[in-house]
Amino acid sequence: MRNEARRSHLALVAWAVAVFTLSAISDLRLLLLSGLAALLLFRRGAARVAARVLAVVAPPALGLSLVSWGWLAVTGGNPPVAPYAALLARTLVIAFLSLSVLRRVDLLRAAAPFPTVSRLLVLCLAQIHALRRLATESALGLRSRLARRPGTRDVLRSSGAVTASLLALSVRNAREAGEAMRSRGFH
Amino acid sequence: MHVPDGFLSPRITLPAWGAALPLWAWAARRGFGPSAADSLPVVGSLTALAFVVQGLAIPVPGGTSVHLLGVAVLAVLRGPAVAFVCESLVLALQALILGVGGFTVLGVNSIALGLIGPAAAWLAWKALGRLSPVVAAFAAGWLGMQASSLALALVLGLQHRIDPSYMPVPGRVTLLAMMVPSLTALGVLEGLYTVATLALLRKARLLRAE
Repeated sequence: MRNEARRSHLALVAWAVAVFTLSAISDLRLLLLSGLAALLLFRRGAARVAARVLAVVAPPALGLSLVSWGWLAVTGGNPPVAPYAALLARTLVIAFLSLSVLRRVDLLRAAAPFPTVSRLLVLCLAQIHALRRLATESALGLRSRLARRPGTRDVLRSSGAVTASLLALSVRNAREAGEAMRSRGFH
Repeated sequence: MHVPDGFLSPRITLPAWGAALPLWAWAARRGFGPSAADSLPVVGSLTALAFVVQGLAIPVPGGTSVHLLGVAVLAVLRGPAVAFVCESLVLALQALILGVGGFTVLGVNSIALGLIGPAAAWLAWKALGRLSPVVAAFAAGWLGMQASSLALALVLGLQHRIDPSYMPVPGRVTLLAMMVPSLTALGVLEGLYTVATLALLRKARLLRAE
C-alpha cells in the first residue's frame, strides 16, 4: 500500500518535471520526437487519449493559430509556419502526456502522505458528485417543461435558480461534513 | 477562457507559481480560518459549487454554447479571498481530472481567473451596491469577466514579446481574440447570470445568511 502511494507520488513528480521541461521547448523536431516517445511509452489506451486531446485541446490552439496566421498574412506579412506548428505540437504533446499519466495515477493514493490535501480532495469530489446530480436533474426538468429546445434566456434564468439550490445544498453539506469531522476528533 | 499548457514558457509560469503559492496560503488563512474541521468542508463545498456552475452550458445563437465562470457570485457572497482559493482548486481539479487548462499554467490561470476577476467583481459590487443592487450585480459579473480576459490576453502578449518564436501570436491578435467575445457575449451573460442568482438568493433570504 505504502509502495503504491510512493509510486503514484513519484509518477506525479516525474510528470510535473516533464511538462515543465516540455513547455520550455520551441524546436519543432524535438517536440515531435518527444511526442513519439510519449506515444511509445503510453501506447496502451493511446488512441482514446489522442481522441480526447484532439477534441478538447486542439480546437482552441488551432483556432488561435489560424486566426493569427491569417491576420498576419492578410496585413501584408509573410508569417512563418514553423512557430505555429511548434505551438500546436507543444500543446498537444503536453496534453497527451498529462492525460496518459493522470489516467494511470490514483490521485487519492498519491495524496495519501498529505492528510489535509487528501481530505480536501475527498470532500470536493463527493460534493461535486452530489451537486452535479442536482444540476443534471434541474437541466432535465427544464427540458421536460418546455415543448421547444431551451434558449439562452431559459437556461440563463434556470441557472440562477440552480445556483441558489446548489448553494443551499453545499452549505448544508458543509455543515454536516464539518460536524462529522469534529465528532471524529478533527480540529 | 483558460490558457492551456504549452502557450506560456517557464519564464512566465514559474514566477506565476511563485507568486500564487503565498497568495493561496494568505487567502486560505484569511477566508477560511485555521481550524481544519471548520474550513475544509466549506472549501470543498464552495469549490464543488464553482466546479458545477462552470459546467452549466448556456446556448448562444449560432448553435454553440458558452460556459459561465460563476466566480463573481462567489466573490460577492464570500469575498475575493474565498473566490481565489475555490477557483484555484477548480482549475487544479479541471487540470488533473479533465485535462482542461493545465498544470504549468495553473499559477497564471489562478491569478487571472481566480484573483483579478473576482477582485474586480467585488470592487464593482462594493462601489455600486448602494446605488442599485441590480446594476451592481451586472457590473460585478461583467467587469470580473473583462478583468480576467484582459489579464490573460496581456500575459499571452507578454510571452510573444519575450520570445516571438515560442508564442508566434502577436499581442494585438490575442487581445482581439480574447476581448471581443468577452465584451460582447461572455461578459453580458455572466452579468445577467450574476443578477439572476443574487436576485433569487435575496428572494429566498439566503443572501444575508451567506
